[in-house]
Amino acid sequence: MPTVLEDKIHVRTPPRQWRFDLVLQRFALVGIIVAVWWLLSLSMPHFILPGPPRVFVALSELSASGDLWLNLGITLGRVGTGFVLATAIGLPLGIVLGSQRKLGEFFEPIIPVMNTVSSAIWATFAIIWFGVSNGTTVFVVFMTAMPLIITNVWQGTRSVNADFIELAHTLRMPDWKVMVKIYLPTILPYFFSGARLAFGFGWRVSLVAETLGSSSGVGYRLRQAADLIQTDHVFAWTITLVVMMAVLEMGVLRPLENYLFRWKKEAENA
Amino acid sequence: MTDIHTPDVHTPDVHTLHPEPGSRPAAGADAAASPVAITVTGISKWFDSNDGQQLEVLKDINLAVPARSIYAILGASGCGKSTLLNIISGILKPSRGQVCINGVLAKDFTDWRTISYMFQEDRLLPWRTALRNVEFSLEAGSMPRHERSARARDALQLVGLNGFEDAFPYQLSGGMRSRVALARSLVQQPSILLMDEPFSRLDAQTRSLMHQELLRIQQLKHMTIVFVTHDVEESVVLADRVVVLAPRPGRIREIVDINLERPRDSTRPEVTRYIQRLRALI
Repeated sequence: MPTVLEDKIHVRTPPRQWRFDLVLQRFALVGIIVAVWWLLSLSMPHFILPGPPRVFVALSELSASGDLWLNLGITLGRVGTGFVLATAIGLPLGIVLGSQRKLGEFFEPIIPVMNTVSSAIWATFAIIWFGVSNGTTVFVVFMTAMPLIITNVWQGTRSVNADFIELAHTLRMPDWKVMVKIYLPTILPYFFSGARLAFGFGWRVSLVAETLGSSSGVGYRLRQAADLIQTDHVFAWTITLVVMMAVLEMGVLRPLENYLFRWKKEAENA
Repeated sequence: MTDIHTPDVHTPDVHTLHPEPGSRPAAGADAAASPVAITVTGISKWFDSNDGQQLEVLKDINLAVPARSIYAILGASGCGKSTLLNIISGILKPSRGQVCINGVLAKDFTDWRTISYMFQEDRLLPWRTALRNVEFSLEAGSMPRHERSARARDALQLVGLNGFEDAFPYQLSGGMRSRVALARSLVQQPSILLMDEPFSRLDAQTRSLMHQELLRIQQLKHMTIVFVTHDVEESVVLADRVVVLAPRPGRIREIVDINLERPRDSTRPEVTRYIQRLRALI
């Protein structure tokens, strides 16, 4: 069709290239941090600041005994449970509050209040209600993650384009299909950024909850190591956590987000 | 020498796709033979305005649109032409009067999927590819996915967009987006196509291309088209018959048959005469 030739197509923005110099920079940064740490540790007793070799030994011991993986699994399980519960309740609640104007107006003040309550307070309540059990950590993660998810989904519901709804109406599309085909895709990016935030927060507060009300998990082991002045173990757990979060963020969440919202990211770049 | 001075060679007709350009009678003899697609009888519409008064937007509109014809509803902005189109499409209920589609009263009419509506904006879902956007029109029903996809592919081909099935809307130019929107309106193989200033946001050149495309497809698929416009030239180039609305309240001022062959070049004097005549009316 010759007429099409008169239209021009925008060129797709190329995916971000692996830049060799950038990788080099990242390695250099890690190298500098380790070097400073090492230098400092030389002039300090090992129970205040253990050096990299000592921490590495502790790490391999924990890993070899299976201790590391077991507790990591326990904590991840609790965070996951709290997070899934927060999503299961927060997503529909956010959609309802966002699409029902009166309800939304009525409940609006609750969210900022919930967001300002410190997770230490939730942890205290959790210990009163659930004692030393999985429930304590799950509850704290849930209470921290849910308001974040509700807030974002709420916002997403408000940004649904009325023109698209009208389009669906001219096609006589049933309401539930409008929900699935227009509301959900519009909300998804908002939900995703809320969920990502909620997961990060949840992970951090889970450690607090575990130090206070648990007899297993990374948080508990951290406190235990601190009580026994096994500073090398404290460092080992910390490094494990940092690495795990980095892997989750760069290896899972970011690629997933890039794929799901390729229409959006590129549209913003274009 | 003679070769250089070839006198006025017949310019090849761009519209080779038109088997018999313009020979289709405009709402004339053909109309008598073919059934009426849309009947509008005594339509009035008023809205309650903020100060408690009633605002009359349309007043006593009567129209009969024969099947397979192209009707333009022409008027200045605010004359209620979009409201009229929305009433025909069933989105809005008239305050008085009735609409019949293919001889059936609108309230008893069930086959709404044979009527397509094309908006002023392309309204493409940004998270869907061109193909999936076209499929959207078929998703209200229960058509299996492979059939939807096959039909959407055909529709994209019809508007000349084969090869762009997997492009996202942001990757397409305004003209191409408009083509996708057109394909979305055509994919359900409508017998009636309603258009609300569908090309008004395009630049002049692209708009004229879309006009040619629309006429070509109408020749192929024989649907009834009713479109709303404030562009006099557009109405003359496309329509068999132009319904001129007067504003406040919107009522029919005049109905003008465009008895011209297609393609209608808006620089030709007989076309210009129609344009001038209609311009004087609005």
